[in-house]
Amino acid sequence: MGEGSYNKHGLTQYLLGMLPEPEAERFDELSLTDDEFAEALKVAENDLVDAYAQGELAGEAMEQFKAHYLASPLRREKVKFSQAFQAFAEQNPGLASEGIEAESPQKARKRGGWFSGLGAFFAPRHAFQWGLTVAALALLVAGSWLAFENMRLRQQMTQAQVNRDTLLQREQQLQKEIETQRSASSQTEQELARVRDERERLDQELKQARGEAKPTPVAGSIVALILAPPLRGASQLPTITVKPDTSQVAASLQLETAADYPAYRVALIDPARKQTLWRSGTLKPRVRGGRKSIEASFRTDFLKPQNYILEVTGISGSASEVVGDYPFRVVK
Amino acid sequence: MSELPLPAPQHKKDWVLTPRALDQLLSWLDEGSDSHGQRYLEMQRRLVSYFDRKNCATPDELADETLNRVARRLEEEGTIESDTPARYCYIVARFVFMEHLRETHKGDAALNEMQKKSPDYSAAAEVDSKEKFLDCLEQCTGKLEPTNRRIITGYYVGKERVKIENRRALAESLGITMNALSIRACRIREKLEACVRQCADSDK
Repeated sequence: MGEGSYNKHGLTQYLLGMLPEPEAERFDELSLTDDEFAEALKVAENDLVDAYAQGELAGEAMEQFKAHYLASPLRREKVKFSQAFQAFAEQNPGLASEGIEAESPQKARKRGGWFSGLGAFFAPRHAFQWGLTVAALALLVAGSWLAFENMRLRQQMTQAQVNRDTLLQREQQLQKEIETQRSASSQTEQELARVRDERERLDQELKQARGEAKPTPVAGSIVALILAPPLRGASQLPTITVKPDTSQVAASLQLETAADYPAYRVALIDPARKQTLWRSGTLKPRVRGGRKSIEASFRTDFLKPQNYILEVTGISGSASEVVGDYPFRVVK
Repeated sequence: MSELPLPAPQHKKDWVLTPRALDQLLSWLDEGSDSHGQRYLEMQRRLVSYFDRKNCATPDELADETLNRVARRLEEEGTIESDTPARYCYIVARFVFMEHLRETHKGDAALNEMQKKSPDYSAAAEVDSKEKFLDCLEQCTGKLEPTNRRIITGYYVGKERVKIENRRALAESLGITMNALSIRACRIREKLEACVRQCADSDK
């Protein structure tokens, strides 16, 4: 049902019991069945009660209000509430202005003295209550701050503990690394000392060896033996001196001009016992100064001071032929 | 033709609202939606106000009796044919009211009786409980959300033209119509009144 079927005056008349019975019954029904009407009725009732509480009713309305409306305990409670609320608001001008003014910093500051106006009416009791309220608020603020601070400190402590643990781990890790390095360094130092000792020992041995040993030509370990083609009737044998440090004999055997083999072999023969002591592999002839020669080397450890023969065999395919004997003498 | 004997109907006074019957009533009042009991509470409030406006001495009991009868009918019939649940409640409430009038034997006498029972309100009420009311009002107003506190204080403060201007300024500052503002203020006031009443009763 729209607002057109009732108005504020009609609602007020209804509340005061001043409507004719049919109209009152219609409003009764609407008060239960129509949401808009029910809301409008409550608004109108509040305004009516406030008007009474503020002394704005007069004449018949005032009389009817007292006679009809105030008959109900529930409605008297509404009046009591309205009176208290009006008194409450009158004692607190900031209360009213807060509701009307738009939000602003000034208003926010006003809100700080929200119930301050009450102090004038119920001064001793409310001053005490407000004192308690302020003290409670101060305690609340202080408590909140302390709680916040406590939480912050706890977080800091936790973080510090984490940092401490991290640093402790790092310290332990570094300590281990240092110990490892120290160990490695110690091993290195020991190794170095050992090497130095060994070097000094070798130096000593070397000095001792140098002191005991006579100077020996570097080429002394190999003795060269150059043998020309054997000539008939030659009486003097070529001689090599094999010293203790001589290990090899490098022989260069000059070939006869008639000899023309692509390869040769050499054998060392003990003529006294007619025993071959050593044989070479296949050797290629070299040409030096228009002469051919072959070169072969053998160890000296089986040589004795006596005469020996180097027998040269020419090889061509599967055929071979002794092309010359080269006698020489060993002395020690 | 002989009629089958019907079981003796359970006397109305013996009927009690069972949880099942209450569920059925809540569902019926919700008309398919689920208001979580809000429609029931709103109807109960309206019925109390209705009986109170009729100057019944016990509006709460009559409101409960009305809803109980509706619930019993629902339990018996399974459903109720009516334009709306609220309209059926009104019809039942009228019967309950008429019965109440008959029981008291006098129509206006009830009002007179109430008036006799009530002491001189203007003289007595303010002395004892005004201070307590103010205490409770202070507590309950402090519990309101800032916006609701702003509305309730801005809407109901002032007299005559000042009050009207205040309300207009408040509606403008909130960006709502005067009608919407009045409904919002009324609902906040309802809550505030309930809070103050509970606070005052708790100290008794």
